[in-house]
Amino acid sequence: MEEMEMEKNSTQGAKVGVYVCHCGGNISNTVDVEKVVEAASKMQGVTVAKRNMFMCSDPGQDLIINDLKEGRIDRVVVAACAPSLHELTFRSAILRTGMNPYLYVHANIREQVSFVHEGDEATKKAIAIVAAAVGKVKEVAPLETTSVTVHGHATVVGAGVAGLKSALDMAKTGLRVAIVEKSPFLGGQTALIDRLYPYGDKAGEIITNLTKEVTAHPNIEVHTCAEVVKQEGYIGNFKLTIAKRPPSAEKDLSNIDKMAAARAGSNEFIPFVGVFNSSPPEAKEEFEIETGAIVIATGFSAYVPKDGEYGYNEFPEVITLRDLIKELSENRGTGEFLTVNGRTIKSMAMIHCVGSRQIEGIHEPDEKGFLNPNCSRTCCTGLLHSALEILDRHPGTAIFDVYRDIRAYGRSHEELYAEASGKGVRFVRFNVENQPVVKQNNDGYALSVFARDNLLQNEELEIPADLVVLAAGMHPGEIEPLIDLLKIHCGADGFLLEVHPKLRPVEVFTAGIYLAGSCQAPMDVTEATAAASAAASKASILLSRGEVNLEPFVSTVNKEECARCLTCVRACPFDVPIIEEDGAYINPAACYGCGACVSACPGGAISLAQYDNKEISAQVKGAIDSGMVSAGQ
Amino acid sequence: MNSNVSDRYDVIIFGGGIAGMQSALDLADQDYKVAIIEKDASIGGKMIRLDKVFPTLDCASCITTPKMASVAHHRNISIFTLCELQELDRDGINFRAKVLKRPRYVDQEACIGCRQCEYACPVMAPDNDQRGLSARKAIYIPFSNAIPQIALLDVESCVLCGKCEKTCPTNAVNYFEKEEILELEARACILASGYQLLEDFPTRVYGEPAENPNVIDALQLERILAPTGPYMEMLRPGDGKEPESVAFIQCAGSRDQTNGVPYCSRVCCMYAIKNSLLIQQELPETKITIFYIDMRAFGKNYEQFFQNAKKKGIRFVKARPIIHSNAQDGSVVLRYEDQEGNGNNLFEEFDMVVMSLAILPAWNPQKLTGVSTANDNFVRIPYPKMAPTLTERDGIFVAGIASGPKDIVDTIVEAGSAAMETSNYLKSLDSAKAAA
Repeated sequence: MEEMEMEKNSTQGAKVGVYVCHCGGNISNTVDVEKVVEAASKMQGVTVAKRNMFMCSDPGQDLIINDLKEGRIDRVVVAACAPSLHELTFRSAILRTGMNPYLYVHANIREQVSFVHEGDEATKKAIAIVAAAVGKVKEVAPLETTSVTVHGHATVVGAGVAGLKSALDMAKTGLRVAIVEKSPFLGGQTALIDRLYPYGDKAGEIITNLTKEVTAHPNIEVHTCAEVVKQEGYIGNFKLTIAKRPPSAEKDLSNIDKMAAARAGSNEFIPFVGVFNSSPPEAKEEFEIETGAIVIATGFSAYVPKDGEYGYNEFPEVITLRDLIKELSENRGTGEFLTVNGRTIKSMAMIHCVGSRQIEGIHEPDEKGFLNPNCSRTCCTGLLHSALEILDRHPGTAIFDVYRDIRAYGRSHEELYAEASGKGVRFVRFNVENQPVVKQNNDGYALSVFARDNLLQNEELEIPADLVVLAAGMHPGEIEPLIDLLKIHCGADGFLLEVHPKLRPVEVFTAGIYLAGSCQAPMDVTEATAAASAAASKASILLSRGEVNLEPFVSTVNKEECARCLTCVRACPFDVPIIEEDGAYINPAACYGCGACVSACPGGAISLAQYDNKEISAQVKGAIDSGMVSAGQ
Repeated sequence: MNSNVSDRYDVIIFGGGIAGMQSALDLADQDYKVAIIEKDASIGGKMIRLDKVFPTLDCASCITTPKMASVAHHRNISIFTLCELQELDRDGINFRAKVLKRPRYVDQEACIGCRQCEYACPVMAPDNDQRGLSARKAIYIPFSNAIPQIALLDVESCVLCGKCEKTCPTNAVNYFEKEEILELEARACILASGYQLLEDFPTRVYGEPAENPNVIDALQLERILAPTGPYMEMLRPGDGKEPESVAFIQCAGSRDQTNGVPYCSRVCCMYAIKNSLLIQQELPETKITIFYIDMRAFGKNYEQFFQNAKKKGIRFVKARPIIHSNAQDGSVVLRYEDQEGNGNNLFEEFDMVVMSLAILPAWNPQKLTGVSTANDNFVRIPYPKMAPTLTERDGIFVAGIASGPKDIVDTIVEAGSAAMETSNYLKSLDSAKAAA
């Protein structure tokens, strides 16, 4: 009885405004939004029900603001897209009226309705979801955000061009920055290229200039041979444990030997290796960094063709584009023909899309069952650039470019394509169903590439080749441990997933962590640099303010009910709860509000703001009272 | 709307499209004062006029309108619409911009956006915000999400009947408003002036057959598809028929040295696929063909989008058709070489043809700003690899299509990069000043 009265009191006078968004047709093409508005207007406590083509637009937001200001409503439900897109948009609109922005519930009738249902069922479900939100919004209490101070320090993981650029940008803005790089060298995979398309800039010069600035900057600390092994804390206040280990990977050791052989000093660029910054540690050491933001710049992993894929590892004359670039750089000769391993290259074939644009049923997955669906974006222009270099230096070479589509999309890329055509590179266009085959040639050349040209009625051509160059693509980086540590996510393509490619392109779902460069998707150096600066910009905005407001959707423990059974400690995926003398304690700043502890607690001692039993019951009751769901659903 | 209009800013941004807005927000969030100079009557740029965007198929408005609202309500951002740069001088580290503000003939402070004037106006004129596909009044609010939500009068079509002036409840209409020169000062500038299409291409190259109203450009198709569009349905402009067949002609002007546009316009492949899928959604029986040279689906999840369109029955034909003639019923006859077959010339009739026109810069800033442009007429970038948003002039930065065609994702990322470079430049000025 007491409870019922309380309920009545708490809902008495609640004036709910319901605003239904058409989402420019994304919702209204499927859901009958007029019906939803009509149903909402009849719901208990609803004083205003309206619809708009774009609720998130200024005129849409003004509907809410005016109704609030004029006292017609004091609680708000917007039925629109997923809350991850625009819940914040509407909260800020409410905040602009001076009202508590948490007297708000977002009803998702796009991703959960119009994108997945059709017809009457869609409209019914939308009404049920709105009714549930109305039920809940009448129960929610105003919440306050907690403000925490932030460290004026950022950590960049990875020292390729994206990581270096991002670190430099943040350092210039006044933040202290730590760079954590796994290998003993700076420069990442750009160091493995000689000249960069389309203008032929020397990768070595770019890396040298960048590392000079980075290592000279008083705000930047560089840690090579280092990895993040533990992460605690939260936005603005992360604590990272870094482990430095003596290099053990074969590649690192041989590169260190190369460096010694070249008598390269510290901060000097060694071609196809990178810049050596400081001596590797002799023994394993661990230390902690307190940092406010984390920029992930771990890059991509270069696809290694499978044994036998286009003759790779089967014939020594089949190499990757990277191998060719290195060959052309180390063997700076000129003359009618290029010579590789003593063989005169009179004719060569370049094959595109190796390990990229893979299609189920046509391509063979790797040992993990992974197919790379993305275009690697850089290989087309990369091949054209190398083809032109060969023709410049060895004009007698016959070059056959075996492709699916030439994707010379960027500034001054198409010009390279036109130039290569003009200089006699012959283009052979294959359908993905008819992949070229590389075989031994017994007629004076090393190999033959058999390709069906779909512009010649799929006639099979035999292309003589002394060298076959494979444009091996860009695959997602192998960073599973880091992904687990930082609790971030990959998309279906294996690359790190941003919140939204246009709304928040360099942010991930964990606040305070940003993406820079090709850990997110294939990119060339220009694009990776731009992304690095964009990530640095977001991190600087966060850290330059000195403090950050945290969402109040966190768990709290009623210590009187707590039996100190440790269930919450085990349930929490983020290691937040600790056991104090009088019961469990959940640091509100560190809590992500996932609710795992709430449902696990056997004593019902934990509650999550706005997801209390009372609020959830009201939500369920709202949905049932709408008459749109039956008990079975 | 912002009222804290002062003459001194940290940064002036030329262009209030998605690039300019994103740069403005990133800088304003770091407490820099920003002025956006926009030549149109509303901010939002090309993006606010699009329907849905690839590869997520979010409505363009869902991305743009909240950013427009954030810009409008940000205490550090001032918006100047109907404005164009006239002169940009530099005095030490300070830029002094002379900006021409064209008259709205409506008092910006007094107008409440009630549209009474619009309803009262008896004159209809082509609506440029709908790419000329429908009409608007002579006094009008540009479009439903425009910011600012205030009317403007098009004097070219106004007949001076006085109805709007009499109807306006706040006496905001002022036929005598004059153009003004505003003077703004700032320590840095960002060029975010976007693009225009090579609009004369179809008639210049194909002549009379291209004058058919059922030959449209991609931005017109965006309007037709948009929920706030001219017809509210997928119809062809010539006679309002639902098209049973639609052809997209890719590289219409792009990748064509004879035409002065040797470069790739970078976004057309993806928007043609996207628009095909959107037409198919509305008219499932309509046969859609994309005529292309190379399908350039190079971005994250773009290739998957392309493969999905193939599965959904969109026909991809490698050819570069010409508009040959028109059929009696208003349909368009294309002629193309059967490149994937026996090379014969084929004729095919389509109810509607969409031209993926080449992208050109909207503005050449060379004369006014001293920032030079490259052969492709886009802003020259001296350090494309290490600083893609730096121009040749200290203190002037660039974002988005002003430095070459790019899609919305790349534009937004680049706008963030321009904001970072700009804020670090401003910081370097501060520390130089402190040192002196």
